[in-house]
Amino acid sequence: MRNTWFFIRKESLESLRSYHLLIIAIVFIIFGIEGPLMAKLTPDILKMASSSSFTIKMPDPTSIDAWQQYYKNMTQIGIFVLVVIFSGTVSGEVSRGTLVNLVTKGLSRYSIIIAKYFVAYMQWCFAILITFLINWAYTAYYFPDNKTPNVWSGMSLLIIFGLMFVAVTIFGSTLSNSNYMGFLTAVVVFIILTLLNLFKEFKHYNPIALVTDNMSLIKGTKQIDTIMPAIWITIVSSIVIIYLAILILNKKRL
Amino acid sequence: MALLELHDVKKSFGDKQVLKGLNFEVPEGSIFGFVGENGAGKTTTMKMILGLETIDSGNILIDGTKVHYGNSNINREIEYLPDVPEYYGYMNPTEYLTLCGQLTGIPKRDLPNKIVKMLKTVDLPINKRRIHGFSRGMKQRLGIAQALLNSPRLLICDEPTSALDPIGRSEFLSLLASLKGKTTIIFSTHILNDVERISDRVGILHDGILKANDSLDNLKQQYAKSQIIFEFESNALAQRANQIIGPKSILKQRKVILNYEDDYHTNAESALKLLLKNHLVPISMKSQETSLEDIFMEVTS
Repeated sequence: MRNTWFFIRKESLESLRSYHLLIIAIVFIIFGIEGPLMAKLTPDILKMASSSSFTIKMPDPTSIDAWQQYYKNMTQIGIFVLVVIFSGTVSGEVSRGTLVNLVTKGLSRYSIIIAKYFVAYMQWCFAILITFLINWAYTAYYFPDNKTPNVWSGMSLLIIFGLMFVAVTIFGSTLSNSNYMGFLTAVVVFIILTLLNLFKEFKHYNPIALVTDNMSLIKGTKQIDTIMPAIWITIVSSIVIIYLAILILNKKRL
Repeated sequence: MALLELHDVKKSFGDKQVLKGLNFEVPEGSIFGFVGENGAGKTTTMKMILGLETIDSGNILIDGTKVHYGNSNINREIEYLPDVPEYYGYMNPTEYLTLCGQLTGIPKRDLPNKIVKMLKTVDLPINKRRIHGFSRGMKQRLGIAQALLNSPRLLICDEPTSALDPIGRSEFLSLLASLKGKTTIIFSTHILNDVERISDRVGILHDGILKANDSLDNLKQQYAKSQIIFEFESNALAQRANQIIGPKSILKQRKVILNYEDDYHTNAESALKLLLKNHLVPISMKSQETSLEDIFMEVTS
């Protein structure tokens, strides 16, 4: 475990020095500011765009619009930005040969996967939280209404979804020496899960519910209990996927 | 006592059997020069010793403990210096060596002093300059530092001098030689002079097995091929001399090489008498001892 900790510190330093953390901070701060701002400005923008003879009647924006924008940003762009950043985490090291020195010094291969997973997941949480907090503050400022009472539970699903999505990316990155494999695997898994959601009997258990049902939770129209099977499947599958990644790295020539 | 033992180690890649039953031992504290042609299986053997490569059959023992692929129990006793070491370019040497020291279990209180001492030994700057700006030679020296930081019992060097300039190479060989008796070293290289300079024992890997494995002196005796080289003013004179000296000689442009087996004086005197009798005066004459290169050529031919 000591070596896992040393490798976690190395991974953290890498994230800092290779500007991954900076990129994440900039991108997700922009997302945090953009959500409520777009919700606030959209009616005015549409008003300006429409001609004088044709007027669009828009309802006044609410906190629901701001949070909708947040989840749209996070699930359509944000999580994929993170996956791109994590995509080469194992493959890059294997193809460059940087692990050889460390493994011959006694660093276990499982330590490599666990440390990389942990640090990548911490960055995921940082990204989700930083955007969430900014979005929350701006939403409270622009739209002081009571239409979104459960903001934390909506966000916590994204945090839990990250457990599996980061695991899938690390697993993909372990499969091949190409830096794109992690991204590709994550995208393929996301598409498969989205397609599975078309079948009613899977919806209850599908981890994709964690990124599609957030608004219902925030508004209070759905309770977290209904998503619990999907949450458990997400957690268990994360453990299985990470275990598989360790098995693959154990067999891999460094 | 042998620190490293290989017993009937076999390894194939697809249809190609690279190692066909490798057997050898490396005594503790010795420097073992490991030579062979490109693709002979030297790096594969080293990686198997390090547990980085699977073994098809046979055993590798380090201090009596069997090496398993991916097993890291014995790894803290071994260090590895690859031909082109790869690092994290965003780190500085101190940070990298700190990580290496932590992984090998060097106590926290000893680590900073050991790192400073090691950086001074390999002549690398002790500052915040990051590794990505290092030349290949500097990276090789950092490789030496990381390999020696833990004072390993077994050091495996895979063509370690390939990136060093002549001064750096000489310093590196002196450094390795200074470890004799304390650290057991396996040293692979194509530069046979380097092996001759520092190795106690030499193993020549050819066709999947170790064709020769002995001290350099014993190998020289075993493969002794003493020569006298006569040089003449022209090719024509050399050609005539070659005909006169007889079947034991070889013509190489203006040189005639006489192979002999027993006493130098007797052979040199009789050859010289023959030449002078025919008014053939060589412009130079020298005795050449068997080199590792000669032994290598003979073993692998």
